[in-house]
Amino acid sequence: MSRVGFRRLVPWAVACLILAADVFISVRNHADLDRLLINVILALSAFATLHARMLSLANAGFMAIGAYTSAILAVKLGLPVAISLPAAVLLCGLVAVVIGLPVLRLTDVYLAICTLGFGEVVRILIVLLPGLTGGPTGANLSTGFPYEAMRRTQTWMIAAFLALLVYLFWAMSRSKTGRAFRAIRDRPQAASTMGIDIVAYRNLAFLMSAMIAGAAGAFYAHSVGSLDNSDFRFTRAVDILSYAVVGGSGQWFGPILGAGLLTALPILLRDSLGASIGFLRSFAQLPNILTGLGLLLVIIFLPGGMAHALHLQRKGTRGRTAGSVESGKDALAAPGAATGTGPQDFLSVHELTRVFGGVEALRNVSLQFEKGRIYGLIGPNGAGKTTFINLVSGLVTPTSGGIMWQGKAIHGHRAHQIARAGIARTYQSIRLFDEMSALDNVIVGHHAHIHTSLLSTWLRLPREAREEGEARDQAARLLERLGLSELAGRPAGTLSYGDQRRVEIARALALHPLLLLLDEPAAGMNEVETSRLGRFLLELKDHGYTLVVVEHHMDLIMGVCERIAVLNFGRVIALGTPTEISGNDQVLEAYLGRD
Amino acid sequence: MGLLEVTDLWVRYGSIEAVRGLSFSVEEGSIVCLIGANGAGKSSTLLAVSGLVRAGNGRIRFAGKDITGRRADLIVRDGLVQVPEGRAILAPLTVEENLDLGAWTIGDQRQAHEARNRVYALFPRLAERSRQAAGSLSGGEQQMLAIGRALMSGPRMLLLDEPSMGLAPVVVTSVFRVIEGIARSGTTILLVEQNARQALRISQRAIVLSHGRLLREGESKTLLADPVVVEAFLGKT
Repeated sequence: MSRVGFRRLVPWAVACLILAADVFISVRNHADLDRLLINVILALSAFATLHARMLSLANAGFMAIGAYTSAILAVKLGLPVAISLPAAVLLCGLVAVVIGLPVLRLTDVYLAICTLGFGEVVRILIVLLPGLTGGPTGANLSTGFPYEAMRRTQTWMIAAFLALLVYLFWAMSRSKTGRAFRAIRDRPQAASTMGIDIVAYRNLAFLMSAMIAGAAGAFYAHSVGSLDNSDFRFTRAVDILSYAVVGGSGQWFGPILGAGLLTALPILLRDSLGASIGFLRSFAQLPNILTGLGLLLVIIFLPGGMAHALHLQRKGTRGRTAGSVESGKDALAAPGAATGTGPQDFLSVHELTRVFGGVEALRNVSLQFEKGRIYGLIGPNGAGKTTFINLVSGLVTPTSGGIMWQGKAIHGHRAHQIARAGIARTYQSIRLFDEMSALDNVIVGHHAHIHTSLLSTWLRLPREAREEGEARDQAARLLERLGLSELAGRPAGTLSYGDQRRVEIARALALHPLLLLLDEPAAGMNEVETSRLGRFLLELKDHGYTLVVVEHHMDLIMGVCERIAVLNFGRVIALGTPTEISGNDQVLEAYLGRD
Repeated sequence: MGLLEVTDLWVRYGSIEAVRGLSFSVEEGSIVCLIGANGAGKSSTLLAVSGLVRAGNGRIRFAGKDITGRRADLIVRDGLVQVPEGRAILAPLTVEENLDLGAWTIGDQRQAHEARNRVYALFPRLAERSRQAAGSLSGGEQQMLAIGRALMSGPRMLLLDEPSMGLAPVVVTSVFRVIEGIARSGTTILLVEQNARQALRISQRAIVLSHGRLLREGESKTLLADPVVVEAFLGKT
């Protein structure tokens, strides 16, 4: 126990040491304090994109835009900082929206390269406009700026801005928006089938990142008092990224620690080495080398960053709080009324075909589904069952053919739109948000039903607390219905296979869908657990849900399904009641086997 | 003394105790199955034996040698190989390349080639499809490939984690037949299965886990009729 206690203390001790070092350097030198605060702001701008699973290196470019805009407005037009700075931030936002439209279609390394190019373009423009920016020789602002008089106010302003940012990130991390970002970072596809509009959130993240970097740039201009295009080179972008990586990009406080460490370390080394023997002093790069070494150590020993180590512990102590569940209310509230007119308008697919690289995964499949029934979809592995579910849930678009949902064609709609239209699903290869608790996973399912905007989160409007509370209660009730109350607080990734499947079902039900597509819900369950699941599916039916179940457990399929479609090599080879199917020669041959 | 001896094994993930003081042994040449509800600690037990998770406490002896805390790759060299849950084949590589990875511990090319031919003799389907990407195989064939890959190094003992999961009924039967065949040829098998009925039918002994602890241990035939086992895992019929 004491050893465990000691291990837990280490990350906290490191964090405290960093803070102490930061306070130490700040007290001695105001310029260092400004630098520290600005670097922390920059780190948060990197975090804004990283936690939406975007590797953007545009921060240095936006920092340059912010710096030059605010400086030019203040010096050339003589505007007060209170106007020049917000104007610079707004311009960054505008640029982010414009370049975001094409650039954010890219992901991963392509996005990184493209945003890096953006940074260089900004820098070249600065060099090419000497009348406005001072060109390659840089802009000295001290002439137009009462430098000494502004200093104290500047530091105070930077600190206040940072405090505001910290509040905004803290509040966001506990809200619907923060959950959506975590879901997108963990599993973008699963997030989209929870009704989360990934493109919109990526745009939001890029916009926030750009505006924050712009503000940091403006503060930088007014703090340093002179600007040079080389301040915003590629290396600046890498520095900003490394703050977030060292600190850990999983939690908002990670980049703060990272920036704190990577800013304080070189300053402390510079100062302490300055007093040491001449031999060492002659190595001008020594502080940088030692900082690099420190960076390596952190990455080797704390691969998720410092904040990750802290966060894991917090999760350990928070433990298994399921939250008090209000009993009496039924978690399986009847799904909304279908808007279609007749039963045949519920869901139908017509001549549905999907080709993957020459292979027809699904070929001319036409099926109709009526509301309030349980359908089985069976067939050998690779027969196209999962492809069917992917098509209906919008993760894959059909090569030809159509999907009609309540009288409207939905093929070509994006996954989050289809989820919001009432179609939820689970995955054959489980796609839970592994680091989130089981309860939080289910709350993500409520995403589309929480209407609080980010603004009301930040303003702490009562509606937000009420909606969050309701979502939490409903999620807890759903978990209770699936017999998972005791596991609600556990990170989903640590649950056993069968329990993870149940959490996925609860998460899908949280969308209040009309139609539930279950892809092998009983895989990894034994016979007793499977029959319990079967009873639960029948209960769902009684509540008015419509289900399409892909399964290999024949007891489950034959026990609960009213109609069964059998696929083989992408085609429907049989369609009928369980009795008809179990006597069908083709099905016995291809799938069930003869004993 | 058994080929595999596990004594007082504990596996912990943070504050969660997955396996709590489990002891059992597996006789050479037999099939032993490990059954239990979800989260009972079956997979954790296998992972601890194969060295993929650290045993918190306890001793694991294989062929008379203490392998507790030994590196997973060295345990494979000792002749104890796991077939992972969900098959874990490398989809973009060909069937043959997947098999060759299983022969990683064999330095000699000729020996590796012989091992491959043995696997092809056991699974003719894999020979037919040797140049295909493993991801293009059907689920049952992928399971055969995962087992074949594990057999490449000529292990004394196989750990199978839910080989029947997600497979069509007709394929499940053939997978169990293959497992019996491997055991007959002398390889000892520790089998984790949710399909408890089938697992009990092909195994000689069974270990029943509940909440990380031993609930029952004995001959599979006896356990098939044990009321507690029937109630908890087999259901009616």
